[in-house]
Amino acid sequence: MTAFLIRRSLFALVTLFAVLTLVFVIVRIVPGDPAQVILGDQASREAIQALRARLGLDLPLFEQYRLFMIGALQGDWGVSMMTGRPVISEVLNVLPWTIELTLVSLVLGIVLGVPLGVAAALKRNRMTDYIVRIGSLLGLSFPPFVSALLLLLGFAITLHWFPVISARSGSLEAWYQSITLPAVNLGLITAAYITRVTRSAMLEVLQEDYVRTARAKGVPWPTVVWRHAMRNALIPIITIIGLYLGILIGNSVLTEIVFSRPGLGKLIVGALNQRDYTMLQGMMVIYTLVVVVVNLATDLAYGFVDPRVKFK
Amino acid sequence: MKKKLTLALSLAAALSVGSAYAQKKSLVIGMGSADAGKLDPHLASTTPDKGLLNYIFNGLVRLKPGTASPDFIEPDLAESWTVNPAGTEFTFKIRQGVQCHHGYGPFTAEDAAFSIKRAANKATSSYSGDFAALDKVEAVDASTLKITLKNPVAGFLGYVANINGGNMVCKKAVDEMGENFGKKPIGTGPFQFAEYQPQQFVKLVANKQYFRGAPKLEDITYRYIPADSSRDLAFQSGELDMIYGKQDQTWVDRTSKLPGVKVKAMEPGELSTLFLNVKSKPLDDIRVRQAVAYAIDRKAIVQFKGAGSSREAVSVVPSGYFGTDEKAPLYPYDLDKAKKLLAEAGYPNGVTIKTIHTTLTGMQTLIEAVQAQLKKAGINLEIELVEHATFHAQIRKDLSQVVHYQAARFPVADVYLTQFYDSASIIGTPTAITNFNHCDIADAEIRAARVEADAAKQKALWKTAQEKLVKNVCGIPIYEQLQLWAWKDTLDLGYELQGALNLSPPVTEKTQFTK
Repeated sequence: MTAFLIRRSLFALVTLFAVLTLVFVIVRIVPGDPAQVILGDQASREAIQALRARLGLDLPLFEQYRLFMIGALQGDWGVSMMTGRPVISEVLNVLPWTIELTLVSLVLGIVLGVPLGVAAALKRNRMTDYIVRIGSLLGLSFPPFVSALLLLLGFAITLHWFPVISARSGSLEAWYQSITLPAVNLGLITAAYITRVTRSAMLEVLQEDYVRTARAKGVPWPTVVWRHAMRNALIPIITIIGLYLGILIGNSVLTEIVFSRPGLGKLIVGALNQRDYTMLQGMMVIYTLVVVVVNLATDLAYGFVDPRVKFK
Repeated sequence: MKKKLTLALSLAAALSVGSAYAQKKSLVIGMGSADAGKLDPHLASTTPDKGLLNYIFNGLVRLKPGTASPDFIEPDLAESWTVNPAGTEFTFKIRQGVQCHHGYGPFTAEDAAFSIKRAANKATSSYSGDFAALDKVEAVDASTLKITLKNPVAGFLGYVANINGGNMVCKKAVDEMGENFGKKPIGTGPFQFAEYQPQQFVKLVANKQYFRGAPKLEDITYRYIPADSSRDLAFQSGELDMIYGKQDQTWVDRTSKLPGVKVKAMEPGELSTLFLNVKSKPLDDIRVRQAVAYAIDRKAIVQFKGAGSSREAVSVVPSGYFGTDEKAPLYPYDLDKAKKLLAEAGYPNGVTIKTIHTTLTGMQTLIEAVQAQLKKAGINLEIELVEHATFHAQIRKDLSQVVHYQAARFPVADVYLTQFYDSASIIGTPTAITNFNHCDIADAEIRAARVEADAAKQKALWKTAQEKLVKNVCGIPIYEQLQLWAWKDTLDLGYELQGALNLSPPVTEKTQFTK
């Protein structure tokens, strides 16, 4: 187990290094000049050159890379080229909002998705199954910004149950008011994924011999489903949740924008539009870390649900 | 029992009615960007940042609130000023007793001098170019500021007005905060900085010591809401009192139908121009350029863009600027002439020209309409679409033969002519700004007008310059896009809104809710 963790951590470091290098190169390959964006379109070329020099963008690429790596190793990610505020504080400012939205919508997705998936598997090719399958297909194919606008039209404009600007804080009521619609929007999509995976995993397990044996020896049906079948179906479900957690953080950007919530997604889109190199680099470290950690957690979770899994 | 209940109910009703009629004191504005950028007035270059900073800062002079023309310059932090006959020495009498925000002390001529030096410094300002002619600036005493110029500058007062480099900062605050000034900008305006929540809002509170009187509003929340549809919905639900509109006629039509709402298309118009690179084939032949000009139907474009929010271009300089030739000899729409000219130039079967273009929606629909119009004359406009920052980078590398640009500038003809048509501004040169057409034919007039002290002669020079540029087809002006805003009709701005140079309606000490 310890050896496993050490090996995985080393592997994560290599991944991180590769991603950092890749990001450093890619943001500079994309046409567009941060100095131009900062100064606006009336700036003269001289002023732009002067700013490039101040930002260190006139240095040879390798020198820039060296400075960036030294900074990154020391935990110094520099300041945003656009706002002059430290990258780390810009990220930390909005990170809680993203974590909150991700977790709440993930829980919503699991709570809705797993039972629905199981129900569909048990009632295979019956009405319940058809309804769940069509519903989950809709959830998968509906663009999140369209569903977000529909939610706002229905629940904020027509019914007045929730505010359009979902970024309140301070009290429990304010929190509930601002998290509900965005979390439902993302949660429904997550639920659609989880439902489909749960259904197919369950279908496979339900055909296994041991399930038939359990039924034959008289184990009550609910016990067969939840204890014998479900535990074995969990591995693919955990895989998809782990994978999806990474996607969810990225996918939340449209939801954040439509519901006017702060978040990492909005930060990275802004940084991309403005060619804020330092910001993009810092953000990529965060995303890479999240994906690496989530993958590790997923691997560890296999061990908890399935004693046969050994960490070598 | 029943009586008691009725009493309680009517009391509750009375209370709620009472609160409903209590005057609202907080203004919430919805702006179309994801977050605040630079909140330092000498560095801010985007509409959202400039809009906010306008509530915090004053200039030496200002444009009367609600106007966007230098005809309406009036005293601001300077009570009065004199200028020598040569137009090179300005003496300002600084208003006494003005206080900087958050207890940073009185504003004096010393602060004014410091502020102008800061705005003229490349290292601390994006607007240093505006002060290229600055020779000396000194505080003669606490209430007298003297500015000496190397040569007369057309519309110089505009550069010390309440926009861009003309915004007056308080020296003590800048000295104390240095580069962090943008985190807590300190000025002298009707509202002072209170709080910033990333990706959410900036909150300003009333400056009770404001020299024109304490503001009637208590605070302003400036919210960053990038999605047009979300901003519209939040306005509709009453969460926002004033919003930056989607710059599109369908938005005007839709929003005007909401109850209790005012919609305004205000000045300045952003002029949309096609710049043709006169050094590139086949556009080096003036007949081809003329064919392009003849093939564009400005009237149809305005119909397409919406008459309520756009109007036809009048010259290579936007209409209403000091020095615009409102009747410049633009080429009329004439397809036959266009085809004939092409044939004469040796392209009877048509010609292909190329543009690199931004994916910014408003601009993209325009270039597609132009493409369709040109097609009828046998001119094939190839459009390569790229993302906005890429567009700005590539057109400055001279990669686009035709450049479609949309811009408003300080409303003096010199600024537009210098940036877009003076050969010193040709892209690729060290002094480059935005001359994409490589024209130099009007240099003499543009440069002579810039330093001409006699207003009539100056205007005549500008007129000649515009005629030359139009005739030579360096740029084809198409239409002007007005700035679209909406607000609740219970909000009384306190002035009549015609326009605003920073593209956002001012909020002044007189702005208030009527309910």
